[in-house]
Parts: sequence; structure tokens; C-alpha cells
Amino acid sequence: MNQNLKKIPLFNLHEKLGAKFIEFANFLMPIYYTSIKDEHLAVRERVGIFDVSHMGEIRVSGKNAKKFANYILTNNIEKTDYGDVKYTVMLNENGGIVDDLFSYTISDNEILLVVNASNIEKDYNHIKKYLWDNLNLTNESDKIVEFAVQGPKAQELLQNFTNFDLNKIKYFKFDYIDIFDENILISRTGYTGEDGFEIYMNKEIGVKVFNEILNKGKDYDIRVCGLGARDTLRFEVCYWLYGNDIDETINPIESGQKFLVDMNKEDFLGKNSLIKIINEGVKRKFVGIEVVGGIGRHGYKIFDKNKNEVGFISSGNYSFILNKSFSLGYVNLPHGEIGEEVIISDGKREFSGKIIKKPFLKPRVKKED
Amino acid sequence: MHKVIEGLFYQKTDEWLKVEDDTGIIGITDYAQDKLGDIVFLEEAKVGKIVNKGDAVISIESVKAAADIHSPVSGEIIEVNLEVVQNPQIINEDPFGKGWLFKIKIKNKDELKDLMDAKSYSEYRK
Repeated sequence: MNQNLKKIPLFNLHEKLGAKFIEFANFLMPIYYTSIKDEHLAVRERVGIFDVSHMGEIRVSGKNAKKFANYILTNNIEKTDYGDVKYTVMLNENGGIVDDLFSYTISDNEILLVVNASNIEKDYNHIKKYLWDNLNLTNESDKIVEFAVQGPKAQELLQNFTNFDLNKIKYFKFDYIDIFDENILISRTGYTGEDGFEIYMNKEIGVKVFNEILNKGKDYDIRVCGLGARDTLRFEVCYWLYGNDIDETINPIESGQKFLVDMNKEDFLGKNSLIKIINEGVKRKFVGIEVVGGIGRHGYKIFDKNKNEVGFISSGNYSFILNKSFSLGYVNLPHGEIGEEVIISDGKREFSGKIIKKPFLKPRVKKED
Repeated sequence: MHKVIEGLFYQKTDEWLKVEDDTGIIGITDYAQDKLGDIVFLEEAKVGKIVNKGDAVISIESVKAAADIHSPVSGEIIEVNLEVVQNPQIINEDPFGKGWLFKIKIKNKDELKDLMDAKSYSEYRK
């Protein structure tokens, strides 16, 4: 086993809870406790709690931190205020995706970025490279633990711990509230396609808070969920997974993430490259595929019905809600029309597939009208 | 602790074989189903197909991984458990019972001596 593996702060608790562990982004992470299916269904039907402390937290502070974030990120951060969370990508100068992340606007002078575990150092160095002179950049990932409480009963469960009316925190909003006898950052966000919250706190109180949620959660038949269910849940609603569906060789136009890019902003990192990409037209497209006979997994190839290679699978999984297998992947244009039949192969086995609309399952998050 | 049943034959790739006269019933062990996790696909074996000992006969997939099922003996496939093809999670629930995969007409019983008994297999997967 890799000697450099980091233990997440709650490792011992997870072990006690019966977690099976895997190596992920240099962490030994719980993959499941009961079974991936059991945890998946708990989140769709009731509530689940995920320890996602492996995620990175990078803080930008100092005068005009928000303006800087607006430059380094593609979404419009300039128009945000205290309490706003934005999902965004961060690009390199060629328009490739360095990471996809959440940006929390604490003030004009303070922004908290929540980034993928596998990208913490890369993101930090990337931001550092472009950082304005008067700003501070701190990597707080080792000090902060993050839990995601997700599912239709998530709000009801968490409401037990606070007098603050959680209805006041709308979708993609956050607040610091008094909860668990602490003052904690909580946002109505997630990676499951269900209503739910993500909470951030100093690691010292992590075990206490996790146990409190778990104990009260028994009233709701809660499950502790691992990375396995996190992946099957995000996959069903077609949320991108960095390292699988997107990376630096892919731009947000081909990945279908143009909605995260405000081309009307005066300038942002990667804008010139994106203008060129848009003018020249992209060459491939991110599609959803319904697959018959097996799972078309990351790295499998996509062929048209005449057996010409036309693309690759970026993610594949089985939907426990739809009871079918699906894949996400990239196909070269003009392929990729809805209804097109394709063949998926790992070199040994072949599955038939059909390009269908995304998402496979509609998210049930509480969007404001 | 994974369940191992007395009276069956086992091989290193975690299939079990139950012998009834000339017929062999094949399935995967409790250890294998637990390692795979939620099983979602089982390829339908072809009745009438002649297989050799060790051949990858069909594939099985869980959310986590795809794996091959290797025949522990040579012979002809004579029956397939279609219920399990339809509902592969039965393999997770009852790997030694309702979760059997296919039956084979054993060609040469001498091959059985290459397989492990319950005790050796328990030791192997300890």
C-alpha cells in the first residue's frame, strides 16, 4: 500500500462504522459501509451522510479578492454577495479545465473555493501563479472537515439541531448559523441530485457533529454513505466527475459546461482561447448513452454502427433507480445525435448503446423559480 | 467471515462446483460476491456450448468491476439459471443457493482432483 496515504480526520470512526476503504486522491477513503445500492437508495428515498473531508478548501482574502476570483473563474463572481455559492470551472490559458469547483462569496474581500481532492495542490499553485500582489492565498484543506447531508429528509434532520429556519438557505446559498452548539458554514448544495446541505467546520469538532447527525438520523433510517454511492448518485443526474469526465485536455464548450462561463465578462483566464474555440467550432460533444448488456466504463471506446471509432467513455455506471446501465462520453461530431446507435467496447466485449438525452434522472434539488 | 460450504469443490478464481452424478453446478463464492459488491449484470451462458477447464465462460459485472466466470471443469453447458440473469442481485443474496449460474455435463471427473475442498479454500481466502 502507498506509504504516502493520508488518513482523513474521521478515519477511526469510519472504521468503527464498518467502512470498506479504497485509495482515492492520496487518501484512504470509505467506498461503502452496507452496500453501494443500499446507500444510494437511502439518499434518493430518505437521507444519507457523506464525510467528504478529502475535498479541498482554498481561501483568497484581501482587497478585491472577489474581483480576482471573477478573473480566475469562468462564472460571474463579481455579481455575487455574501451567501452566494457559484458552481464554476477554472481554466488554463488554453481553455482546458484545471478544475470544477464551488466558489463561496464571503465578502468583496474574501472568497472560499471548495475544490476536488485530487486537484488541491495543482489548484493552489495555479491560483498562486496569477495571484494579485495584495492578496493572500491559504490552503485550509487539512484543517476543515466537510459533511454532505443529502436526501429528501436532509433538511428535517438538520433542523433538529438549530433554531435557525433552514428554509432561509435557498439552493446554492450559504450562511454561518448556530447549529450543533457551534457557528458553522452550511450551504444548500450537493453532488447527488437531491435536496441537501454541505457543512464545513474545524476538524476538532468533526467527530462530535458527525455522531450527532448519525444518532438523530436513525429516526430517518439514515445511511452513512461512501464514495461508491457518491459516484452512482452524481452519475445518475449526469454531474461531471473531474478526472473522468473533464480534465485539462477538455474545454467547457465540449463538456457541455458553457453555462458555467460568462462570456460577457470583460476578461477571465482562458477567455481568449475560448473565443477562438467557439469561433472555430468544437470537434466533439459530451453525450449520454444508454447501454445494453453491461457497463461501458471509463476508457472504453465508442464505435459507430460501421465499426469506426468515434469517441470514448468518460464514466459508466448502473442506475439503481432506472435499473439500466448508462455511460457518459465524448463523440466526434457530427456523431452524437439523440437516437444514434453506437457500439461500446473494452477490446474484448461489445455492448450496444444508444445516445439519449441527459440527465438520465432529473435532479430533485430545490431550485428557486 | 465469509461463508464456505462443505462438500463443494472450489478454485482459486472463486467459483464453486457442486457435483451431482455427471452434472456440475457452478456458482461464485460468498467471498467473490462480497468482493464484487452489488452485482448488476450476468451474461447468459449458451446452452450446448463446449467449454474447457479454466475457460472464461461468461462475464459478471458489479457497480465496481467486471469479472470473468471460469469453468472449474471441462464439459458441455446444459442449463442456465435464467432467474439470476434477470435478477443478478440474487447472487449477492444467496451465492451458494438460488444464485447458482449454470450447469455443466462433466466430461472428465479426473479434473476434480485439481480443485480445492472447503477447508483448503477457507485457508486460501483466510
